Amino acid sequence: MAIKILSVDDSRTIRLIVGKAFRPYDVTLLEAANGEEGLAVAAREKPELILLDVTMPVMDGVTMLTKLKEDPALKAIPVIMLTAESGRENVLQIARLGVRDYLVKPFKEDQLLEKAGRCVSLQKRPVATPA
Amino acid sequence: MSQTIQIPNICEFMTRHFVDVFETMLSMKTQMVTQAGLPQFEDRVTGSVAFAGEHVNGAVYLHFGTVFAGQVAAAMLGLEPADLGEAEVNDVVGEVTNMLTGGLKSWLCDSGAECAVSTPAIIRGSSFVIEPVPDVLREWLVFDCQQNRVIVEIHVKVG
Repeated sequence: MAIKILSVDDSRTIRLIVGKAFRPYDVTLLEAANGEEGLAVAAREKPELILLDVTMPVMDGVTMLTKLKEDPALKAIPVIMLTAESGRENVLQIARLGVRDYLVKPFKEDQLLEKAGRCVSLQKRPVATPA
Repeated sequence: MSQTIQIPNICEFMTRHFVDVFETMLSMKTQMVTQAGLPQFEDRVTGSVAFAGEHVNGAVYLHFGTVFAGQVAAAMLGLEPADLGEAEVNDVVGEVTNMLTGGLKSWLCDSGAECAVSTPAIIRGSSFVIEPVPDVLREWLVFDCQQNRVIVEIHVKVG
C-alpha cells in the first residue's frame, strides 16, 4: 500500500519538485498550499509524513506545527520542515516545536529522499507489466 | 548589533548564495560579472521579496529576461519550456527569489539583525525601474548563466 506524504507549501514549484522526487516511489503525494489547508488534509488523510514550509500566507508552518502537536490524533505524524531560512534562531525555534528533521532550501532531491527515508520506508513503485 | 552588516558584506554573501542556489536547484553554473554595465532586457520577469526588522530592512529583486526565466523554470521542474505557462514561470522565479532572500535573512539574523521576510511578488514588464526610497542603499550584482544575464538587485537600510 502506498505511503501517504503531505507536502504543505504555498509554492507550487516546491510541491512539483517534491512530487518529482517521490515519483519513482510507491507514494501518494497529498498537497496543501498553507497551514490551514494542511491541517484539514492531515486530519482527513492521516499521512505517514508531512513536509512543511515555514513562511506561508493564511497560516504559516510554525502555527500549523503547533496545532498539529496539540491534536492527539495527529501529533505522532513525523514532520520535516522545509525552510529557506537556516539561521540559528530559526532552526532552534523549529527544533523546540518537535520536528523530526529540517531541510534548508535550496536542496537536492537526494537530500529530501534521504531525510524522508529516515521517517518512512520508501519502496520503489512497482513497474507496470503489459497484460 | 554586529558591525559586519554593511553593504560589501551583504553583497559578498549574496554572491556566494546565488551561485549555491543556482547550482543546487538548477544544476546551473553561474559566474559574477564584474565591471559589467546593467544589461537591458527587452522583456523581464522580476521576483521580489522584502525583509524588515528593527535594525535592517529592504528587499531583494531578481531580474531575468523572459525567455531565460522560462528556461530556468523548465530546469527546476524537469519540464520543457514550451510546457510551462506564465503562472509556473512566475512561481519558480518567486521561489528562487524566496530562497535567495531566505538565505540573506538567516545571515542577517546570525549577524544580530533579526528580521522577517515577505512572501514573493512578481513584476513583469519591458521598461521599468525600481527606485529605492530615501536613505535606502541599492546594489546590483550581475551574473552570467549559460550566456544569459541575471541581476540581483538589493535595497537595504541598516540602522
